[in-house]
Amino acid sequence: MANGASIIIGLVFVVVASLLAYFFSPKGENQTVWRSSLILSFASCYIMWAITFLAQWHPLINPENAELRPEHAP
Amino acid sequence: MAVPKDSLFRSCDMSLTQLYIANEIGREVVSALGEVGEVQFRDLNSETTAFQRTFTQEIRRLDNVERQLRYFQSQINKESIPIRPQHEFSNMLAAPSASEIDELSDKSESLEQRVASLNDSYETLKKREVELTEWRWVLTEAGGFFDRAHGNVDEIRQSSDNDEAPLLQDVEQQARGQNGDASGGPSLSVMNIGFVAGVIPRGRIAAFERILWRTLRGNLYMNQSEIPKPLIDPVNNEEVHKNVFVIFAHGKEVIAKIRKISESLGADLYSVDENSELRRDQIHEVNTRLSDLASVLRNTKNTLDAELTQIARSLAAWMVVIKKEKAVYQTLNRCSYDQARKTLIAEAWCPTNGLSLIKSTLQDVNDRAGLSVPTIVNVIKTSKTPPTYNKRNKFTEAFQTIIDAYGTAKYTEVNPGLPTIVTFPFLFAVMFGDFGHGTLMFIAALAMIYFEKPMSKTKLNELVAMAFYGRYIMLMMGLFSIYTGLIYNDVFSKALTLFPSQWEWPHDFKEGETVRAQLKGGYRYPFGLDWSWHGTENELLFSNSFKMKLSILMGWTHMTYSLCLSFINARHFKTPIDIWGNFVPGMIFFQSIFGYLVFTIVYKWCIDWYAIGESPPGLLNMLIYMFLQPLTVDEQLYPGQMVVQVILLLVAVACVPVLLLLKPLYLRYEHNRARALGYRGIGETSRFSALDDDDADGHAMNGGRDSMGSDHEANAMITEDIGDEEHEEFEFSEVMIHQTIHTIEFCLNCVSHTASYLRLWALSLAHQQLSVVLWTMTLGQAFNFEGVLGVIMTVVFFYVWFFLTIAILCVMEGTSAMLHSLRLHWVEAMSKHFMGDGIAFEPFSFKLLLEEDADEG
Repeated sequence: MANGASIIIGLVFVVVASLLAYFFSPKGENQTVWRSSLILSFASCYIMWAITFLAQWHPLINPENAELRPEHAP
Repeated sequence: MAVPKDSLFRSCDMSLTQLYIANEIGREVVSALGEVGEVQFRDLNSETTAFQRTFTQEIRRLDNVERQLRYFQSQINKESIPIRPQHEFSNMLAAPSASEIDELSDKSESLEQRVASLNDSYETLKKREVELTEWRWVLTEAGGFFDRAHGNVDEIRQSSDNDEAPLLQDVEQQARGQNGDASGGPSLSVMNIGFVAGVIPRGRIAAFERILWRTLRGNLYMNQSEIPKPLIDPVNNEEVHKNVFVIFAHGKEVIAKIRKISESLGADLYSVDENSELRRDQIHEVNTRLSDLASVLRNTKNTLDAELTQIARSLAAWMVVIKKEKAVYQTLNRCSYDQARKTLIAEAWCPTNGLSLIKSTLQDVNDRAGLSVPTIVNVIKTSKTPPTYNKRNKFTEAFQTIIDAYGTAKYTEVNPGLPTIVTFPFLFAVMFGDFGHGTLMFIAALAMIYFEKPMSKTKLNELVAMAFYGRYIMLMMGLFSIYTGLIYNDVFSKALTLFPSQWEWPHDFKEGETVRAQLKGGYRYPFGLDWSWHGTENELLFSNSFKMKLSILMGWTHMTYSLCLSFINARHFKTPIDIWGNFVPGMIFFQSIFGYLVFTIVYKWCIDWYAIGESPPGLLNMLIYMFLQPLTVDEQLYPGQMVVQVILLLVAVACVPVLLLLKPLYLRYEHNRARALGYRGIGETSRFSALDDDDADGHAMNGGRDSMGSDHEANAMITEDIGDEEHEEFEFSEVMIHQTIHTIEFCLNCVSHTASYLRLWALSLAHQQLSVVLWTMTLGQAFNFEGVLGVIMTVVFFYVWFFLTIAILCVMEGTSAMLHSLRLHWVEAMSKHFMGDGIAFEPFSFKLLLEEDADEG
């Protein structure tokens, strides 16, 4: 489901969303505010998500737990 | 000329306009422009003092009315009558006519007299009342003294005659023995004993006694008693405790002396008759007078209250009218007046896009006044720096305030307020990332926005008012905190299991054993941190490394973005040297060190180190050794690393001299070339002789234009310049010093600012740990109990936990994260592009004026 290609797919989504935001922002005095805010939000959220995804893509350490009980092991 | 649309991206285009207004409608025009609120009038009479200006008389008169209104307000507050609030008079906001102002000033004049006279008479009456009450006390209390004194006539005589006799020898006993039979004893006056009766504040009684004793050497007989009820001082409405005293003494002169002493000590003396029957009559009389006075007092008070209530109903509206009128005249005082043509000439800055609105407003005023002479709006070219004006709405206002608190942007430079709308709350959210806390903040902001209207009308306390002002910032912060909370997978420090984990725990292990999860093949957790990390031994090890890199990457992105804005600025101001001398070398320097760091971070993540059977190199050491020993690479990240690093290092080093020298040398070259071609700065040599003899500014504008009519605008520009523009001379050393400082600062800041973004990691770690601790200390404890106790504990601990979550995690931590985000914007981001030497646009606007006053009040 989710693997290395997700980064690219996510990027495509964000680019499309940004383009939509650019062209479909409400016209008028506040168009610039709409465009800039939406696109910046998409970009920031994407960066944050991508960093988190990348950090877990090839993890160097595995989670270790000493308090896990066998009957509750997920 | 096609004017680009104004947006928040850069400040509005401004035009300097000259308005020629017919004298008769000056007031109306300025007042109409005040309603529009997009015009900033320049002061054309800056050399004249406030007293020499044209409309000083009018302002004085309005000041007087304002004072009267304030007097009413203080009186109304004193009587605690509610004032009808300002926002109930929405229709009163229209500009008043001159006759209305006159009417209002007459009205307030007469009202002031009436209120003042009512107040005066009320105070006089009150004073009388107090006096009468004191007298009554003296009369009732003195009775006892007289009775006693009669029995002690001998004693008194003795004590007066003989200095050594004790003053109050056995007074008490004998008084009891005589049993107050006043009529039986001989009259005091017969024995030449006089007396003084009165009241004195209790605090002074000791001093009074001492002074009397010393001056009369003990030749007196004094009686005193406390008045049980405090009396009210009519002047300042304070309670005063007083004592009644009666002093008996021998001889007229002594009595006169006592009178003087007591008056000087602030005692009030009252006449009391010695005869008890006369005294009774006196008391009777005083009582009737008191009751008469009370009814008069009541009437006066009622009239005064009625009057003030009447005033309170429209006071706020009058205040508004007077304030507006005063502002209009103050603005008119900034205009210059052409005697010959009976016109007012005003110079004003206004947004170029607002010109049509202003023109139509002026036309309306003209039509209403029925004047044939039109108001002329003349746009003039000028080299003066126009003021910076960013149009705001209620959403962008608070964000723009963040930027303006740091400095006013240069005219039409990129306004950092626009990206701040997202970056500020987002960086906040990186530090505040928790789904639960973010939701609480979002709901709070939503509530404030929903109750916007009622809240803006009530007076809030300081903290709430601040939150209310930043409600849209809070909304965005809440929204982004929800997102980052999902990324961090933290809901009040607990994890959400939205997707199946990428980790698998082994099933066969004993309790207490440390178990290690294994990856589930190629599947990766799709959104945010995997919930399997929650509660593990090495959770911090992983999240620290992740968050540290996250903050470096975020910081790099933010700084690169901000640096790019300086490119847009250079393009806009058409200074290519800023691109080639500042932006390009700066960007290359920054990217070849920190861009490379970011690249290695991402590269390291992308490589499956265990699959290729290599140990992952430490990036921190790599970066350090890149500088210390660029020719050796201990742990290789990728093949050819050494060459790349050496090249990057050389490029970075090469950028420094470019950054340092290119701009100053280019500026010098340009200056010398201009010199060689024969251009000189205006300030350097003598001025234009043709314009030099026009000393009066206004005259130069009008007269000068006629004589050189061919080129209107250019002429206006020149005359403008001569007034007060300074011309900077080119000074190479100054430019060089400036650029040196900039270079050093830029290079050092690249390092320190990148490190500064690590606060994102530190604060988000602190926030997360704090919320874990809070959970385990409160609600976590409650779950250890069972049965009824468990229920009670859960309820109690829930409240404790919830209250602390709001107080500590949301309010306190939120404030601290906000301050850090603020700093990242002001210092780390804005230092990359912000020039900030603009002049703020201060429009003449009634709306702003009234808002300011409301804040002060």
